[in-house]
Amino acid sequence: MDLETALSRPVQLDGCEGILHGALLTRRAELRRSWRHLITRECLESLGALAKEVESFLSGENAFCDWRFAVTFGWMNGDASFTDSLRAIALAHKVEHRPSDTGPERLSLANFNQLPRSERIEALCDRYRCPLNIGLPSESDVAEELLRQLMVPDRARLEAGKEFDADFILLKLNLVGIRAMMTRDLRYLDALNYFYELPRRSLTRLRTNPRFLAFWLCTYAQLLCTPEW
Amino acid sequence: MRVAVITGSISGGLRIAREIESLPGVAVFVVVCNAGKRAPMLRWSRELLSAFRSFNWWTLATTGYRYAQLRKLIILRRPLDDETSIEHLRALQCDVGLHAANVIYREPVISAFRFGILNSHIGILPKYRGRCVAGWSVLQGDTTGVTVFFIDSGIDTGDRIVLREFIPSKGWKTVRALKNMLFGCDARLYRKALAALMSLEFSLQSNDTSKGRRYYVMSKLFTKAVNKILASSLTTSG
Repeated sequence: MDLETALSRPVQLDGCEGILHGALLTRRAELRRSWRHLITRECLESLGALAKEVESFLSGENAFCDWRFAVTFGWMNGDASFTDSLRAIALAHKVEHRPSDTGPERLSLANFNQLPRSERIEALCDRYRCPLNIGLPSESDVAEELLRQLMVPDRARLEAGKEFDADFILLKLNLVGIRAMMTRDLRYLDALNYFYELPRRSLTRLRTNPRFLAFWLCTYAQLLCTPEW
Repeated sequence: MRVAVITGSISGGLRIAREIESLPGVAVFVVVCNAGKRAPMLRWSRELLSAFRSFNWWTLATTGYRYAQLRKLIILRRPLDDETSIEHLRALQCDVGLHAANVIYREPVISAFRFGILNSHIGILPKYRGRCVAGWSVLQGDTTGVTVFFIDSGIDTGDRIVLREFIPSKGWKTVRALKNMLFGCDARLYRKALAALMSLEFSLQSNDTSKGRRYYVMSKLFTKAVNKILASSLTTSG
């Protein structure tokens, strides 16, 4: 069997897609029951007006927004802040955006990784003020690097019970989740699966940023009921 | 051709060496390194346990004795990337190293071998780099298999592929069983790769990383889904 044939023709494994979809829906049902262990009442109260929306989104029926069309627009600009745009995407609302003729310069990963932590967060929030841009083909290097960081050093720190940067991890989880929504790349979805499966004592340490924690879980909830992978 | 099996355990190294040594024109060494940088007690207890699990004691003892007598069994006391260990490796003047230890190779170790170090990767390159690739291949409906290639210091990015063998996942109930089967093909495929390297008509294939993706450790959710897919393929194949 030559390489092209082997990798272009799916193996006849009956019901592969059905099994995957079933597994995701089972996890969605589990999340519907258990999200309150992660976002406690105090956490929810700290979200203010957002609390009710988050509560009904996570406890309610399966809802998701298909953002794949946005890839065709190229780079997008919007007037909303990064957090407001993230909130809209996480809760499957409409995001105000307009296509831009030019995007920002390519992000140098070597320079990015040398920035102090606060500047790295700022750089990502500025660049992805319209967070849908993380799903564009031009951003694949950045997205791959965020995925690598989550699945290698961040995962290792969390699993070893070491100190970690909750804000930065949550920011990465949100961006990686949006990339999964737009590209339907199972690796990005699985990063969210993996972090959700970490021991609760690690996850509860993410409560220091309840807003980003809530957005991550809402994005994850959408991904779990997305039908086409 | 001079070949060194770089291994984390004597029994594991000898298993591969026994397969390779029957190739004409090949001299085999077994280099045992302390992969997990373990304390001596723990290291040798693991070695004993590993020996119990492997082929029978008598074969292990006689093969080990033979290699030791011929000074072909080298036990490194320092970590693999330590200058002393690298000197040991260089002194062997090997053409090819065979990866069989749970270590990350840095450039000085790789360049201690004339052609480099071969890795038996349980996925088809260039599409599937990284971890858990057997499971990822099943999940995405691709054929599973093994690629033998010369490593570099990146994650499955070495650009010289010696061979690829497609080994279907049908018949294996779980990802773990499938992975064990694929890992167990290493000795046979190393032998095949070395035979290919020594043949006149052989040419290397390129590992174009732009045609593939890096995969990571798989979640429990997806692992369960892959197990279900494998189980369902068992039922459908009768």
